[in-house]
Amino acid sequence: MAKTTLKNIHLSHFLELLRLFGELHGPVLSDQGVFSFAPLASASDLQLNYSRTQIPPKKYLLPFREEILHYQKGAYRQAVPYGSETVLFGVHPCDLDAMAYLDRVFLAEAADSCYATRRANLTLVGLSCRPDDFCFCSGPRESAACDLFLQAGEDGFSLTARSAKGEAITAAAADLLVETEKEIEPPACGSCNVLPQDPQLRFSAHPLWVKFAEACVSCGACSVCCPTCYCFDLREYPSLSGGAERVREWDNCLFVTHGEVAGGNFRATRLERLRYRFLHKYCGFTPLTGITSCVGCGRCKEFCPVGIDLRELFQDLPLDCGRTP
Amino acid sequence: MNRPRLAIAGLTACSGCQLTLLNCEEELAEVAARFDLVSFPMAESVEGGAPFDAAIVEGAVSTPGDLANLFRLRNSSRLLVALGTCAIFGGVAAMNNGVSTREELVAAVYGDGEKTVESFAPAPLTNFVSVDFSITGCPPEKQEVMALLCALLNGTLPPLATYPVCTECRSRENLCLLLERKELCLGPIIQGGCNARCPATGIVCEGCRGPVREANVAQELELLLERGFGRKEIERRMSRFKPEWDYGQRR
Ligand code: SF4
Ligand code: SF4
Ligand code: SF4
Ligand code: SF4
Repeated sequence: MAKTTLKNIHLSHFLELLRLFGELHGPVLSDQGVFSFAPLASASDLQLNYSRTQIPPKKYLLPFREEILHYQKGAYRQAVPYGSETVLFGVHPCDLDAMAYLDRVFLAEAADSCYATRRANLTLVGLSCRPDDFCFCSGPRESAACDLFLQAGEDGFSLTARSAKGEAITAAAADLLVETEKEIEPPACGSCNVLPQDPQLRFSAHPLWVKFAEACVSCGACSVCCPTCYCFDLREYPSLSGGAERVREWDNCLFVTHGEVAGGNFRATRLERLRYRFLHKYCGFTPLTGITSCVGCGRCKEFCPVGIDLRELFQDLPLDCGRTP
Repeated sequence: MNRPRLAIAGLTACSGCQLTLLNCEEELAEVAARFDLVSFPMAESVEGGAPFDAAIVEGAVSTPGDLANLFRLRNSSRLLVALGTCAIFGGVAAMNNGVSTREELVAAVYGDGEKTVESFAPAPLTNFVSVDFSITGCPPEKQEVMALLCALLNGTLPPLATYPVCTECRSRENLCLLLERKELCLGPIIQGGCNARCPATGIVCEGCRGPVREANVAQELELLLERGFGRKEIERRMSRFKPEWDYGQRR
């Protein structure tokens, strides 16, 4: 039997070993009391039982604001993100699935160079979780969208390498791993993502549409905190000396400016914008039509100041994905 | 390259907005080289020099002198830019507009001795003239002022952020004071761009940058009432930087 179990007592050694593969980041509790992914100064900062971070790991691939292009003396220069190897430890399955979704968007034909550089520098170590009241999934699950996955058990973790990087880590950690007679059971539940919805549903006569449109304050929290929301705004700023920079910044489809073009707005009312959000999150659009981009992390529900949960507009709320573990 | 002719002027205000410009120490020499600073009464006492490519005006309109200055600037400048919350909304000077009469306020400040300067309720520039661009903030952010100057130099106006304070606040991974601490935070309806200065240090947003576009004022009011604040207290806080709100507005 293969040695794949990491006992709890060896976790801090294992974390030290991970530092050999890059700067170690993981879930911590900030001074203000907010869960966030941040550099792990010491293993004791690690919040193994965190529910969800306010800002998802997408910030490692697509920062809130970044310069993507620089213009000087008649020539453009693409920004090259400062790249150092980073190991992100303790990412829950939904967030891993979310990054796999972002990969499909940004690494498809004509890959986004800033994203691609950051992605290549990121090693993902997944960690099993326990859903809470905000999660949209019905039970714990695993995700293969990582380099290494840790399934938590009673007194340790069962490791599964999912990539060559993951195998390199398990090989380097061989001395810390032991065989166990009874392997920690991976959960039977494969995926409990929110299932894709019928695009026509966004035009339903459900009274909640109007109610939500009146309540939404367009604060932006739902998309800022969503691990798969990637819409961005591009703005150009000249400098005093003649050059200019092009900046990319997160955007939200519920902002009035999101669909605004010269002479008009594609989605002038908040109601139209909510319908659009529904379409993108739960139905997907070209070329990802039919693929829901909601991974069920529950952030939008937890962080919306007015408690909007667009799933209430589904015909049948898939509280149970039908694949109960 | 043509050096754009600039006028920078202050009406009734604290001069903090003009100071923001003087505080851009690193860029100041370059600004002076690239622009023809025709009129900047705060930095030197030269007046006149019209016409201007742009007049950047701080402060609310509160005296006949303010009004005359404003008309003079509007008439002699291609672009008129309102700089700061007072110029755009009336600002702190206007906070008691709807609460006390002018006579009461003047008496409270100057007593009933000497004859005082003639004044009226502080009002935003747009009450009297057309304004081509605004930079909000009490005081405005340095980088937005610099973005304006750089854009002017290139014959355009800058694309400034249009989202509310909450967007930057959440992106900075702050604790939400409205949701988690039930405090009177105005972030959802206030124009962002300050990088959520106040919530980042644990203090609620007081709304110094004025309303964001399509501010859902009615919902914010509901949120605050639900958290146990009185209508009077809420209105008092909201009018600190902008005297008049439409409390029924949802978009
Ligand atoms: S839509 Fe909500 S639950 Fe779904 S992935 Fe985004 S934040 Fe998470
Ligand atoms: S978090 Fe809620 S209130 Fe804020 S923009 Fe999203 S749906 Fe609207
Ligand atoms: S603390 Fe205030 S500004 Fe920050 S997210 Fe909460 S309501 Fe918005
Ligand atoms: S957080 Fe609010 S009060 Fe503070 S600087 Fe920004 S807009 Fe002004």
